[in-house]
Amino acid sequence: MIIQDDLLAPDVVADPYTYFGRLREADPVHWNPRWGGWLVTRYDLVVEALRDWDRFSADRMASLALELSPADRERLSLLINYFSKWLVFTDPPYHTRVRMLVNKAFTPTSVERLRPRARAIINELLASVANRGGMEFIHEFAFHLPVIVISEYLGVPPEDREQLKEWSDETSRIFFIRADEPDRRERSQEGLRHLLEYFEPLIEDRRRHPKDDLISALVQAEERGDLLSHDELLATCTVLIFAGHETTTNLLANGLVALMEHRDQWELLQQNPTLVRPAVEELLRYDGPVKATFRWAKVDTELGGTPIRAGDRLLLVLGAANRDPRKFAHPDDLDITRTPNPHVAFGHGIHVCLGAPLARLEAQEAFLALSQRFPTLRLADRPREYHRTLVARALKELWVEWS
Amino acid sequence: MSRRLRITIDYDRCVGSGICILTAPGVFAYNAERQSTVTDPTAEPAERVLEAAQGCPQLAITVEDAETGERLFPPPGLG
Repeated sequence: MIIQDDLLAPDVVADPYTYFGRLREADPVHWNPRWGGWLVTRYDLVVEALRDWDRFSADRMASLALELSPADRERLSLLINYFSKWLVFTDPPYHTRVRMLVNKAFTPTSVERLRPRARAIINELLASVANRGGMEFIHEFAFHLPVIVISEYLGVPPEDREQLKEWSDETSRIFFIRADEPDRRERSQEGLRHLLEYFEPLIEDRRRHPKDDLISALVQAEERGDLLSHDELLATCTVLIFAGHETTTNLLANGLVALMEHRDQWELLQQNPTLVRPAVEELLRYDGPVKATFRWAKVDTELGGTPIRAGDRLLLVLGAANRDPRKFAHPDDLDITRTPNPHVAFGHGIHVCLGAPLARLEAQEAFLALSQRFPTLRLADRPREYHRTLVARALKELWVEWS
Repeated sequence: MSRRLRITIDYDRCVGSGICILTAPGVFAYNAERQSTVTDPTAEPAERVLEAAQGCPQLAITVEDAETGERLFPPPGLG
């Protein structure tokens, strides 16, 4: 079998499931010379790599630092310094300490108290478009919900949200790898610099005037001793605002497309609102917001019998694992009653998405409200285009209508 | 308070975040698959076990009173 190696080819971006599904059956640990790394697509192997932090590192900045010349390292030192404190890019023991501290704010129990507010925000957003008979779902709904929720939870004033989105988008340029952006690292560093400059005085303010918000809670944790240094606190604020932006938006948009393309499942949900919890899990499995995640081999090892050398990078294709017939019956069917549903849309192991309980809550309330309020919702007759990136499964626009 | 607890782990939900193990070491440990397993339900105070269950991002841990069967976590409506 000849496997084309352009991971950003238009047909792969439009439908990653067919491409990565073929790879999963033909060569589940596949060397892609063009990208320069291993593509891992089988469920059991993706999970094995995610579970084993002794063999597979999440430390992206260590590998980036190796790729850069000394001059570039110097130029990008701010970026490297703060990203190397982002939970997603760290290994134990640093990861363990910070995750334990921040985790408390994002447990299912902790975020449950945000549910009434999420419901109110959803109702406001939907009420503002209800009479129009249609909307561009991403920019008029799916973007606002997670940003308002995380901004309020953190303690960011509403008038600053737009500005934070811009900086957050700039920061993200380094992650959403695109071929046509040679200066993306510099732009990413500038975005991050703005975010840091924004949070610095906010943290100082909460130090003097604690409020009932997450920044205050993190500051207090900092002051209780060696739990969180000032730089770690800043890094954590930036990662939370950043992570609160794009992923949940894409979960809502991809999930809505899946339901619209499986009308029977939409109607099933509409008639049985209690199915919303398994429905959200199934939407995460079927077409989740994150296609893949990275790891770096720390030692010479093997995965599924394929030798991997220390330093090699791996793309763990979550979307392909979630469609693995060895794990899921009828994996290409959308079944909102599917239980159990051990998908890996939020990852697996110690790096499992910190915000997962909050994302679940927001998506549950959003799909509940949409299905109850707009039972006639349908996709508008417009072409849909995905951003050309390796990691995010992200539509550019999504037009919907109702009567 | 020395309440006897029955701790159950749902292996379809457990992703091995390790949070329970760090919160209540002695009660929870990694098994060979790097999922959580209960080694000794009595090794930590009940409060600590409940804190571990609450910390689980996946709601994979159920805690009951071993004598009465009363469910202590998760509360109804959460999972």
